[in-house]
Amino acid sequence: MAAVALGTAMALAACSSAASPTPSTTTATAPGADALNGQPEVDITFWHAMTGANGDALTKLVDEFNQQHAGKIKATLAFKNTYDDTVSAYKTALKGGQLPDLVQVYDIGTRFMIDSGSVLPVQAFVDKDGYATSDIQPNIAGYYTVDKKLYSMPFNTSMPLMYINADAFRKAGLDPARPPTTLDEIRADAVKIKATSGETVQFGFGASLYGWFLEQFTANSAATLCDADNGRTGRASTVNLATDANTKLLSWWQGMVRDGLALKLDSDTKNGDNAFTSGTVAMTLESTGSLGGFVKAAGGRFGIATGAYPKISTGDAGGPIIGGASLWIVGQGKDAAHERASWELTTFLAAKQQQVSWHTATGYFPISKGALTDPSDQQWVAQRPQFATAITQLQNTPSNTATQGCSVGVMPQVRKDVEGAMQAAVLQGQDPKAALTAAQTKANGEIAAYNQALGG
Amino acid sequence: MATATGPSRPTTVATYVWLAVAAVVLLFPVLLTVVGGFTQASALVHRPPGVFSGRYTVESYVHAWQQEVVPLLPAFVNSLFVGLVIMAAQVLTSLLAAYALVFVRTPLRGPAFGLVLATIMVPYEAIVVPNALFVRSAGLGDSRWSLVLPFLATGFGIFLVRQGMRQVPVELHQAAQLDGCGHLRFLISIVVPAVRPTLTALAVYSFLQGWNMYFWPLIVSSTNNSLNTLQTAVFALQSNEGTQPGLLLAGITITLVPTALLVVLGQRWLVRGFTAGAVK
Amino acid sequence: MAAGLDERPDTRPAPPAAPARRRDLGRDVRESGAALAFLLPALAGLGIFVVFPLFQAVYLATRGSDILGNPTRSVGLANFAALLTPEFGRIVAQTAGFTAMVVLGGLVVPLALAVPLAQRLPGMKTIRTLFSLPFAYSASGASVVWLIMVDPSMSPVNWALGLVGIGSPDWTTGSGWPLVVVAWITMWMVSGFNLLVLAAGLAAVDEDVIEAARIDGATGWRMFRSIVLPMISPSVFFVVVTTTLTALQALGQIQVTTDGGPNGSTETLVFSIYHQAFENGSSNYGLASAQGLVLLAVGVVIAAIQFGVVERRVHY
Repeated sequence: MAAVALGTAMALAACSSAASPTPSTTTATAPGADALNGQPEVDITFWHAMTGANGDALTKLVDEFNQQHAGKIKATLAFKNTYDDTVSAYKTALKGGQLPDLVQVYDIGTRFMIDSGSVLPVQAFVDKDGYATSDIQPNIAGYYTVDKKLYSMPFNTSMPLMYINADAFRKAGLDPARPPTTLDEIRADAVKIKATSGETVQFGFGASLYGWFLEQFTANSAATLCDADNGRTGRASTVNLATDANTKLLSWWQGMVRDGLALKLDSDTKNGDNAFTSGTVAMTLESTGSLGGFVKAAGGRFGIATGAYPKISTGDAGGPIIGGASLWIVGQGKDAAHERASWELTTFLAAKQQQVSWHTATGYFPISKGALTDPSDQQWVAQRPQFATAITQLQNTPSNTATQGCSVGVMPQVRKDVEGAMQAAVLQGQDPKAALTAAQTKANGEIAAYNQALGG
Repeated sequence: MATATGPSRPTTVATYVWLAVAAVVLLFPVLLTVVGGFTQASALVHRPPGVFSGRYTVESYVHAWQQEVVPLLPAFVNSLFVGLVIMAAQVLTSLLAAYALVFVRTPLRGPAFGLVLATIMVPYEAIVVPNALFVRSAGLGDSRWSLVLPFLATGFGIFLVRQGMRQVPVELHQAAQLDGCGHLRFLISIVVPAVRPTLTALAVYSFLQGWNMYFWPLIVSSTNNSLNTLQTAVFALQSNEGTQPGLLLAGITITLVPTALLVVLGQRWLVRGFTAGAVK
Repeated sequence: MAAGLDERPDTRPAPPAAPARRRDLGRDVRESGAALAFLLPALAGLGIFVVFPLFQAVYLATRGSDILGNPTRSVGLANFAALLTPEFGRIVAQTAGFTAMVVLGGLVVPLALAVPLAQRLPGMKTIRTLFSLPFAYSASGASVVWLIMVDPSMSPVNWALGLVGIGSPDWTTGSGWPLVVVAWITMWMVSGFNLLVLAAGLAAVDEDVIEAARIDGATGWRMFRSIVLPMISPSVFFVVVTTTLTALQALGQIQVTTDGGPNGSTETLVFSIYHQAFENGSSNYGLASAQGLVLLAVGVVIAAIQFGVVERRVHY
């Protein structure tokens, strides 16, 4: 009996090896609104990685959707811990498991999602319904448009910002309304904060060694991270990490830590968040989507100001990557009713009214142009000038291949390699250039392996 | 090494001082877990440590139990299922196999025992990849059973029970056979009572192992949140509420209740069983 | 009942030799059938989920994979060749260092508690129970608690060190310390169970032997080393074996506390398998399986050493 079971498993394992991803679903046409007619209530599962206050805001929106569609569609949220874990789980499910109906995937997962051949491009629904995409911020839509097709619906768009403990700034004689804009200015301010007598804040600066931040510094200096114009004009095959700008960045960071001006942090952004909200550090780097949580966690103990994401050197002419995450409609193994129901939820979340409440609850930039002109949104931003920084920054960011970020299928692993280099330099005091070179070699190997696996 | 005369006075003082120092180092985390859950969020991020602040609240416990992002009740049920099924299955399969290895005279005995010993040396993590693929390809990826399937039999358990059974005099068995007493009856009426301490210890041990298992449930539940066990739920809670230490600690305390009870109340059985079997 | 059975064999005459032989053959078949029936559940479980996957791991280790991780063409021994790097050497070294720290600490710390706890003093039983509590923690639970213990912005440990004027190291971000921290967490978790086992061993030590040694003038450390330790060596052996296994299999502690960092300095073999096969959208099953086979080899070698060399020196 055992032998039979083993034989079956072997056969199944062999089967799955033959079933390489087929892009059939990506060319399929989208079901129309009639797909939901005469159906019992359609249950859809929505995987996401929104934590804390952002998760609460998302739950509220989905509850609202379920109420509006009672008896027709019921969406269930499934929390997947992190963006990384979401993609890992999706990959696992593709090999035999329950795929979600709708999944939130971070910007750098875009290439993999397309390559997986398991999704129904949003463009198919847009064409079917004549859905007006003109309300979506064009430079945001640009990120998720590949081969002239809008593959996924942008949802939570974020950029990184400089966050500042306004009280600590004032005590040090600094103006929170004039945050530092370059590495040198951060250092100068950190020195002043450290020299302030009676200061309870222990470090002027402290940011997680999150790979995303380095990618942002690269884009802010108008450089591309990988070849083929960041993988936008062809398939990228190498990354360019060991640059002078990146070396300068890590040397600076190393010096900040060595001189006691910056707190040593690892790559887990939760630790960086805690360091800032507990008042241990006066300046940090985080996503615009952290603003809502920061304000809540600081709880009036100190004021929070924001500034544009810093540049490595004065005169850097780029801008941060317009990133965040988008919503993907799963086609593999789904019937027309589920696909349609996912689309209904997608359009609900992307609509102006929902984007207003999303923006004001979280700090994520609204993807809807209309949301920013909505009176309640404008009033809200006016009362909270910290939220205005993100809007200004987005509007000042040129839309080009540098600010679209690198698109390769193994970007999550590349980011991990970058974090290895950041940790080696900042935490272990290794030579920045050597650490970046090692990470670059490793990342290039992974990209080559991925591209080869894709070819068969 | 209890000494009949009792230790001298300076030794006694030194003993208590040493134990007190060790307690501060080793037991403060336990205190932090339980009391931290009762401490107000703002007091926790504080020096001196907020657990002594006296500002207590049950808010974190209520919130940890009621929050819906990572529901703890279904995870609790799953953990209980995993712990109990693994416990029952391991005790049963170990008992039967060990009996065959000790009391049934057959040429199969040698090779079978060799196989069992070999499996003890296979770290589970070494074969987790093929097992994950197997469970998925068998279509069990979304079933609760996938959480326990690979752990229904254990080489360690068989070894442990075998050690215990070897204490049963072999003459007993010969006598029973001549008496026409079949294997099953001999097993149930003579062997089981004789190795009860070992079986109890194995039961406690396997329940704790199943309850606290991490790697496998993490992989199985990654595609299906309804298969979360308390351990993976705590990890998810850490991802979701990493900036709320009080809530995390409350969640951990909830997961600790059954195991702490088992450790406190069951340690006598555990120790007796292990000393009867593997240690001696 | 047992007593009654005991007496019977002697009263029966021994059966003649020749028929016994024939009957033995029949009995052998019948007994083998019975043995198989008893062994089947365990052997099926171990066969399907331990032995078969081992062969599959060998197969997977020789395959490349597509972007989803499905095995594709044969790559021969490339996955094993990929292990011959300084990076993997570092992972093996870290696994060894981590395991050594956990086993040493997991033996010494509980022993240093069990010995004083074995004295006849009031409250010892309660204290022993309290010290066994870390055994109740799971890897993820213990890690979250210890992460708070050493968190730079709220660490009670740093606060306490500050009181006595000691600057606190960068527990999870420095050089060297992170591996010590994950080893410490693991040691802490196993210390509860190990204490129970060692305490039981000490309780069984014959008091007459101690008394005789005392009359011979043995005291303190010498008494412990040459009299007590040999007598509890079975317990010590048991603790060393189970702790080694626990340390080799540690994953949750590392994942929650450092996620292998900084810069891979807390990656162990098991973490590396997880990292290659499941983390960050990676699905390099071939390389992970190859590393799994290395882990298997390490496990077998250690088991051989422990059972072969150490057990010979254990006094029963």
